[in-house]
Amino acid sequence: MSSISQNDLSNLDDGSKREIMTFLESENSKQKVQMSIHQFTNLCFKNCISNVQNADLSSQEEQCLNSCVNRFLDTNIRIVKGLQSIQ
Amino acid sequence: MALTSIFGGSSAPSGKPAASSPADIKAQLKTQIAQELAVANATELVNKVTENCFEKCLNAPYANSQDNCVDQCLAKYMRSWNAISKAYIARIQQASVNGEI
Repeated sequence: MSSISQNDLSNLDDGSKREIMTFLESENSKQKVQMSIHQFTNLCFKNCISNVQNADLSSQEEQCLNSCVNRFLDTNIRIVKGLQSIQ
Repeated sequence: MALTSIFGGSSAPSGKPAASSPADIKAQLKTQIAQELAVANATELVNKVTENCFEKCLNAPYANSQDNCVDQCLAKYMRSWNAISKAYIARIQQASVNGEI
């Protein structure tokens, strides 16, 4: 794919620039969610999945993954509140 | 969020000729951004699955490969990815309904 020149970009009208900005903002927030899922899967897989004899998740494993995400987020919220209260 | 989305499964017509009209430039810009994000996500996934399945399946002194275990592990990792994704998105939605975010 040919890349877009600096010239092409500066020739965009304001409406198009705004549209691209909106697109970037939405891709950016989607990407943040994606990266969090990568991080949580990495962490929770290590802690919840003890063997890979079976490719299917057991109900215990699934419950563990679910709780792992929720406790991580609870911890995150608590840390933020704790830091807010000491500043 | 469907797992396929991280591979940029949707609209990504590649190899377009040089863009000229503003609409073309806009479309090309969006495609390029989406593709780069898809590559970044795929790379991240490959790295994380490799790390985890290497830890689960292989042991020093690494005399044998463990193809079977690695295949099972990959399948299990993807299922875990989906379960985590569902749990996280449910949590975000709940927080959004409660007006917390």
